[in-house]
Amino acid sequence: MELALIIFLPFLGSLGAAFLPPNARNAEAWLAGAAALAATAITVSLYPQVAAEGVLRLNLPWAPALGLDISLRMDGFAWLFALLVTGMGTLVVIYARYYMSPADPVPRFFSFFLVFMGAMLGVVLSGHLIQMVMFWEMTSLSSFMLIAYWHHRGEARRGARMALTVTGAGGLALFGGVLLLGHIAGGYDLDTVLAAAPQVKAHPWYPAVLALIALGALTKSAQFPFHFWLPHAMSAPTPVSAYLHSATMVKAGVFLLARLWPVLAGTDAWFWIIGGAGLCSLVLAGYLAMFQQDMKGVLAYSTISHLGLITLLLGMNSELALVAAVFHIANHATFKASLFMAAGIVDHETGTRDLGRLSGLSRAMPLTAALAVVAAAAMAGVPLLNGFLSKEMFFAETVFLDRPDWQRFGLPLAATLAGVFSVAYSLRLIQRVFFGPPAQDLPHTPHEPTRWMLLPSALLVAACVLVGVVPELVIGPYLRTATGAILGADAPAYSLAVWHGFNTPLLMSFVALGGGALLHGALLARRGATTVPLLESIDGRHLFDVTLTALTTGAERALRRLSSPRLQMQMLLIFAVALGGALLLVKPFGIGWGANAPQPLDPAFALLWLVGGACALAVAWQAKYHRFAAVAFAGGAGLATSLTFVWFSAPDLALTQLTVEVVTTVLILLGLRWLPRRDERIAGPGGATPRLRRSRDILVAGGCGLGLAALAYAVLTRPAVDGIAPFFVQQALPQGGGLNVVNVILVDFRGFDTFGEITVLGIVALTVYALLRRFRPAPESMRLPDQQHEQDGDASPRDSQEAMLPAGAMMLPAVLVRLLLPLALLVSLFFLLRGHNAPGGGFVGGLILATAVILQYLVGGTHWVESRLRIHPLYWIAIGLLLAAAAGIGAAFAGAPFLTSQAWHGTLPVVGELHLSSVLLFDLGVYMLVVGATTLMLVAIAHQSLRSQHHRTATGDTR
Amino acid sequence: MLNQFVTPDLQPAAPEIFLLIMSCVILFADLVVGQVQRWMMSALTIITLVGAAVLTYVTMDGQVVLTFSNMFVDDLLSDFLKLVLYVAVIAVVIYSRSYLVARNLEKAEFYLLVLFSTLGMMVMISAAHFLTLYLGLELLSLSLYALVAIDRDSARSTEAAMKYFVLGALASGLLLYGMSMVYGATGTLEIGAVAQAIYHGDANKTILVFGLVFLVAGIAFKLGAVPFHMWVPDVYHGAPTAITLFIASAPKLAAFAMTLRLLVYGLFELADQWQLMLMMLAVLSIALGNLAAIAQTNLKRMLAYSGISHMGFMLLAMMSGVVGGQADPFGTLNAYSSALYYSVAYVLMSLGSFGMILLLSRAGHEAEMIEDFKGLNKRNPWFAAVMMVLMFSMAGIPFFIGFFAKFSVLLAAVKAGYVGIAVFAVMMSLVGAFYYLRVVKIMYFDAPVDTAPIEAPLDMRVLLSLNGLAVAVFGLFPDSIMMLCTTTLVRSL
Repeated sequence: MELALIIFLPFLGSLGAAFLPPNARNAEAWLAGAAALAATAITVSLYPQVAAEGVLRLNLPWAPALGLDISLRMDGFAWLFALLVTGMGTLVVIYARYYMSPADPVPRFFSFFLVFMGAMLGVVLSGHLIQMVMFWEMTSLSSFMLIAYWHHRGEARRGARMALTVTGAGGLALFGGVLLLGHIAGGYDLDTVLAAAPQVKAHPWYPAVLALIALGALTKSAQFPFHFWLPHAMSAPTPVSAYLHSATMVKAGVFLLARLWPVLAGTDAWFWIIGGAGLCSLVLAGYLAMFQQDMKGVLAYSTISHLGLITLLLGMNSELALVAAVFHIANHATFKASLFMAAGIVDHETGTRDLGRLSGLSRAMPLTAALAVVAAAAMAGVPLLNGFLSKEMFFAETVFLDRPDWQRFGLPLAATLAGVFSVAYSLRLIQRVFFGPPAQDLPHTPHEPTRWMLLPSALLVAACVLVGVVPELVIGPYLRTATGAILGADAPAYSLAVWHGFNTPLLMSFVALGGGALLHGALLARRGATTVPLLESIDGRHLFDVTLTALTTGAERALRRLSSPRLQMQMLLIFAVALGGALLLVKPFGIGWGANAPQPLDPAFALLWLVGGACALAVAWQAKYHRFAAVAFAGGAGLATSLTFVWFSAPDLALTQLTVEVVTTVLILLGLRWLPRRDERIAGPGGATPRLRRSRDILVAGGCGLGLAALAYAVLTRPAVDGIAPFFVQQALPQGGGLNVVNVILVDFRGFDTFGEITVLGIVALTVYALLRRFRPAPESMRLPDQQHEQDGDASPRDSQEAMLPAGAMMLPAVLVRLLLPLALLVSLFFLLRGHNAPGGGFVGGLILATAVILQYLVGGTHWVESRLRIHPLYWIAIGLLLAAAAGIGAAFAGAPFLTSQAWHGTLPVVGELHLSSVLLFDLGVYMLVVGATTLMLVAIAHQSLRSQHHRTATGDTR
Repeated sequence: MLNQFVTPDLQPAAPEIFLLIMSCVILFADLVVGQVQRWMMSALTIITLVGAAVLTYVTMDGQVVLTFSNMFVDDLLSDFLKLVLYVAVIAVVIYSRSYLVARNLEKAEFYLLVLFSTLGMMVMISAAHFLTLYLGLELLSLSLYALVAIDRDSARSTEAAMKYFVLGALASGLLLYGMSMVYGATGTLEIGAVAQAIYHGDANKTILVFGLVFLVAGIAFKLGAVPFHMWVPDVYHGAPTAITLFIASAPKLAAFAMTLRLLVYGLFELADQWQLMLMMLAVLSIALGNLAAIAQTNLKRMLAYSGISHMGFMLLAMMSGVVGGQADPFGTLNAYSSALYYSVAYVLMSLGSFGMILLLSRAGHEAEMIEDFKGLNKRNPWFAAVMMVLMFSMAGIPFFIGFFAKFSVLLAAVKAGYVGIAVFAVMMSLVGAFYYLRVVKIMYFDAPVDTAPIEAPLDMRVLLSLNGLAVAVFGLFPDSIMMLCTTTLVRSL
């Protein structure tokens, strides 16, 4: 339970801090301090248990459905880190209380500060890898908020954004790595993963796991080549830097590497990736640190360098090196936090951190100077301070490296060089800030800060000294618990004594100290210079910006290449993908024809289809250039289809298809004229030439058509599944009393459906009429086509009973069509009446009559027809619907359900045998409705031409 | 017997019937209510949806009930999805109102079309038959086409509607073609019977597999998965934002239901084949969605591409149900529940994000460019925080619902052995994080360009805040929804 408390305390405190008033500096500090101190106390009190039991665990149910529990796990190593996080947190809270100015919105600061602390504790104490990643991302986010605390400063925003992008992205990479790792290990529990070390290392995915996890750890710990974000993050308030960038967040990366050391370390890949990154950071950042002008800049680069040292130690694949790494983690945290605090004090009291302007502060602030000097000495590795001890261990490890010769000699040299840099930048920092002549033009007059601000720094420096003088007493047991937790039984023996006798590492230390002092002397000459010799052009930030810009422009370019706003291209893609997908399947599955033998091919039929196919091709060909021709050809293709139905003895279907073809063709023709002309402003498709484009299109279209045909053929040549067809065929006569199965289905078996359908048809007709009644065509389509213009040349007066038939060439057809009307009426009635037993029916009959009326309109002209033909489509629709309903309700008188057919069979004098059925009434309803609906739509469309003429005369355009 | 007219059991379809009747009532109410009492339309719509929700909730018993000659199913899955659907549509209605009023688009047509498309989605969700499914899909699609074009004076909207219509009709055709081939192979259109026929080996596999290609193409279009995604950015961008909000949220639930009913309920025996197809769709969607989103300056387009990648994630879960032809009951269940979870989470986030665009829009100003969010923190810190939560969640950053949705999907994929694809998906989310964080950066760090105060009605502010809170709270307690999803599927599969 204490474990949970450690993590929840900061979060609770954060919630509390967020709701305090903005100026409650003291209350905030007390709250945050209390939360941090309590967490520290609990951590300390847990040590005996950790030392005795090894691992403390706590599982709280949270999301079992996702396989996630709150799983906390504290072993010696986690304990050490928890102590660092909580203890350092307490000190920084005290420091921040005095550092933050009254004008700063402190609730935000302490709130995020505590969130960060909680998240960091979450990382450290997680017993579950996924949970650790979650907290890991949370540290990135909260650190983003802390770095951007002074968001009115441009550099703070840039720094925060860079830090978030780099570490957040690293976190996601880590997430990927952890997913893999857990999958290999068979679970995400830390114990499971640690136990699965051999499997992991032997697994083929090991390099991927390593690369992804290294990405996460190296970005977090600001290691080469991802180190550039840390110096820019220095725009954060100094307490944040002291906490995040010395002791905690940047340590999360090395924490993770150490945590997973037993699982991942011990391979060459590990040595090269981790060790290589560490070495580069160590040397490069040490070099860069010597030339920084900002105090915090020096500290940032030195942090990268020291973290590089730790990373390098972890990468060396030796247990002793691991011990040194853990030891240095603790040491670095103490002296670096103390130095950051000193930098903050200097900034706070003088108003600048510029090494060019600061000088001789030791007179004004002797206590601060003393503390800073000791901490810097520890950083430089001066004997009797903690930095010396861990650095000594590091030197020893480089010397005893078990690698090929060039590495055995190269590494100690590089290490010594880094030591030289380290001494030089430490000396430079101290010498510039605290010694020399007193500075003249500082923003504030420097003086010693309040005691409370010095206290945290003093405590840390005391720790440096104590560890440095009596290491075994102060840190020995804890270090052993911590390293034991990682290494288990393999923990090597080592001694933490200050004096090991005269040996190579000691020699290296002295070389470093001496060399550093000399280098510093040389550097003095460059006072005021701001450039970095040799490595001027290396700028991580530039690289970062370039990468991001490249990503954006690359995406833009790819998008332009890969997508198109043009509908044609989009349709092409859909067709092409469907075709491609189907083609891919042909190979594995084949597309064998079924067993049904095809009927012998009749030449006449083949010819019919050739004509139909040619028509279809012609439609495609003409669609762009001559819409009228295209529609006519489409009618031709439809005709071929109708004839095919006839061929296969489906006359009923053929009739319906034929009439539908005619009606739709006419409707399209009427609608065609409203289509706009080609708009020249619309750019043609770029890229391929028209010829290429057309060949591509014809390939895809042909492929799709052939594919569909092949599939249809494959289905048709297989035995048909038993559907409902046989039932209808058998029952049509006995139950429906009709020989025409289709008609029986329509008016009897599925009468209810038909009833619904004709209702819908009526509604559609009304809707079309209602919509078109107010329709005003686009002005550019108002001009009559030339032919029609001529025809209307001597238009008869409108709205009069005396409208004349068109004269001239149209006279003859007009007269003929007039004669056609009664004939068509007869034919349609004939079809209606015989429908029950022979091809025909109400639907077909209705369409025939409607077609006849359409023809009147087309040939005779709207005026002429309307002045003579009194057809009231609305009545037709209404009566048709009522008749159908009456036929349905009539069944009720016979005690049968709605729409049951009632038949009467008898013999009449003169007429002879007669079969009457309520179905006929129903079909009559269908007939009338179809006539009414079709005509209504037609009239609505036909009236558009009248309206356009109105418009033309109204605007006085006589053309 | 044949003459007997059997009245189907109407109770399982009670919410649908209620919704239909109420739609007709609203249709007539529009004739009576003048322009003045326009608020009644939205009130009636919300009442209708709440009523349907009550009906759904009251009749929810966890039983699988088939009605209308096995064409319509009422199971826990349909009830759960419908309840989420009502919530989403209510949110759409509330978010959209002020936007539509400001543009003089708040007509009864909007509410009616929304209700009809809701009806279509409900039918899709409850479909137990290819025909029912298709009917629902068409009702939804046709209403959506009309909705996109609701602003008839906008050339961009009209163009978008036209493209949507043509491509949508094409996709419907593909779907129908696929269905006809399945019918040809199995002799039935009933989803359960199709599964039975395939299981008993009565079906011709070749024909089935070819039918499957077209079915998957139709599904992919509805989901907006690459390479059937072209309409998504154009339509999201072209439609008025209120309509985009609708298209980008609720229909994803119906599309999920369609995927599940067709592929899992109907064609589970062909999982080997459709998994491969879904895999290609998922990988392409995740890659293209995330990469293309980077290049966008228009937030609606950016969210469109991000939606494509989210659907890729959903498909990733759908394909993880079966491993090498072996369905391990637990793994299968887990994969499909994470797909469901992902869909629900996405709907929640999508509603919030588009809701934010609506919030910042006002008469004469469409806040659809990313730049319009500049300095939002200075203008209104609370809604900046809401947007930040939404963006973080979409990016899949921990402790927001989006992370757990992604996590459960990835876990399912890893369990099914698709480790490489899972890692690829994580890498792509990394790319994705970039453009979501850019929005956050702009909100917090840039100086506001647009300094007008945010004018939005109280109900919208409250609901949007709740929406953001839900994304955060369900992130802290991710188990709640996941348990619901798992239970739902246990009782329904």
